[in-house]
Amino acid sequence: MSAEYPRLDEEEVLLAFSVEPTHDSATLEHYLSQYPEHTQALVDCSIELMMNASRADEDVQVSSDQLVEQAWRQFQAAMGSAQSSVIANPFAQLTPTAFKSMAKRLDISNLFLIRVRERAIDAATIPRRLVQRLAAELGATADAVSAYLGSPPSIASGQSFRSNVKPAVAAQISFEQAVETSQLKPAQKEALRALRD
Amino acid sequence: MPTALKHKQRDGTPYRRPPNIESWIEKLEAIDVASRLSQFARASRKHSEYVPTEVVLHFLRRAWIDGEQGQFEKIFGILLPRVEQSLRSTIWNSRIGSATDIRDEIVSRFVVLITKDCTSQSNRLDFFEIHFDQAMVALRTSVLRKFKSIAGDITTVPLGSLESDGPEVSSEVEAALEAFLSGDPQKIDDPAFRSVLFAAIDLLPQDQKQVIGLLLQGIPIDAKEKDVMTIARILQCDERTVRNRRDRACKALKAVLEKEAEL
Repeated sequence: MSAEYPRLDEEEVLLAFSVEPTHDSATLEHYLSQYPEHTQALVDCSIELMMNASRADEDVQVSSDQLVEQAWRQFQAAMGSAQSSVIANPFAQLTPTAFKSMAKRLDISNLFLIRVRERAIDAATIPRRLVQRLAAELGATADAVSAYLGSPPSIASGQSFRSNVKPAVAAQISFEQAVETSQLKPAQKEALRALRD
Repeated sequence: MPTALKHKQRDGTPYRRPPNIESWIEKLEAIDVASRLSQFARASRKHSEYVPTEVVLHFLRRAWIDGEQGQFEKIFGILLPRVEQSLRSTIWNSRIGSATDIRDEIVSRFVVLITKDCTSQSNRLDFFEIHFDQAMVALRTSVLRKFKSIAGDITTVPLGSLESDGPEVSSEVEAALEAFLSGDPQKIDDPAFRSVLFAAIDLLPQDQKQVIGLLLQGIPIDAKEKDVMTIARILQCDERTVRNRRDRACKALKAVLEKEAEL
C-alpha cells in the first residue's frame, strides 16, 4: 500500500506529520500505516505535539546575542564550504605529472601554480590574460576558472605532492607578491608582470 | 501573491500556507524594507501586530533568493531568537544531556536546514512556513530521539520513589487525573494543572510516557476488533504490558501532582 510513495527519512515524515491541520488519532493512524518504519518517532511526535498545543503562548525572555552569533558563524562556515564544493575545482582532474607539465608549458614555477591552485593569491589581482591561459590549459572557460579562483581559499584535499612550502590556509597574497616569492626566474617574472591588465 | 511553496505532498500537489500566513505576506510585501524589518522586530507575541514567525522565515528565504545579503543577515538575527524562544518554552528539564546541549543541537539542525535551503539542496523550510512551532516540535522530536539513542533512556531519580510514604492522593487531584486520562485534555481547564501534569509526563521513562501520551490522544489499550488501532498494536507489546506501564505511570504522576498540590 505504501510502496507507491517514495521512502522519506524520519525528519521529513515528522515534519509532514507536524503540519497536518489536525492531530487526532485518525491522522496518527494514517501516518503509522504509511510509515510503519517510523512508528516510534511518530508516536513520540504525536505526544510532543499534543503537549505543545496546550502550552500557553508565553513570552519567554531570552538573551540571544550569543546564540545568534554562533548560529550565524555556523551558517557562514557551512555556506563557505557549500560554495566551494559547488564551484568545481578545474585543477581537480590533474595528476601530479600533468600539473607539473602544465606549469612548464605556462613557463611558471610549480610553486606559483600551486599558489594559484590553492587560491593563495587574491583573485582580484590576477591578470585576466593569465586566467585565460589557465583556462585554455585546463580545458575550462575563463569564467569557471575565475569563479574557482574567487572562492574562499582552502587546502585542496586529495591533491598533494612534495613542495618546499607547507600547505596551509593562509591569508591571500597579491599577484605581485606571488610573482616575487614563488621561485621564479627573472625572465619568468618579467613575462608574468607583462600580463597585468 | 506570495510565491508558492515547492515541497509537494505525496499526491503531487504542493503544500500550501494557511490563509492567515498568506495574507500577512501580502500585507508586508506592500511596504518598504525598513518598515517591514521594524515590524519583524516586535518581540512580544501578545502584540496585535506581532508578525508570525512563518512570515519572518518567508522573507528570510526571499532575501536570499533576491541576493539581499544585508537584509538576509538582519532577518536571520530576528528569526534565531524566535527559534530559541520556541524551544525555551517547550523543553522541560530533560534527563538526556543538559537542556542547553539539546537546544544548541536543535538550533544547529535548524541552521543546517537554512543552509540547505540557500544551496537549493532541500526545501524542508517550507514546512516551517506552514506552521513554525509545530515543525519545530517535529525537529525537536527528531533531535531528542537521536540524543536518546546515544545516551539511552536514563532516569536518575525514579519518579516512583517520590510516592513512597507520601500522603494519600487527594480526591480532587485523582479526579482531575482520571478526567485527563479519559482522553480529552480539554476537560482540564486549568492551565497551571496542565503545565504541571505535562512536565511530570515528560519526566516519565520513555515506555510509560508513550502509553500515557497515546491514552491522552484517545487511543484504547486493546480491542477485540482487528482493524482498530490500539496502544498494544502500535507499540507491538502485550496488552498486560501496556496496562502495567500505565499503572506505574499513574502512580508516579499522582505522586508528583500531590506534591505539587502541597506547595
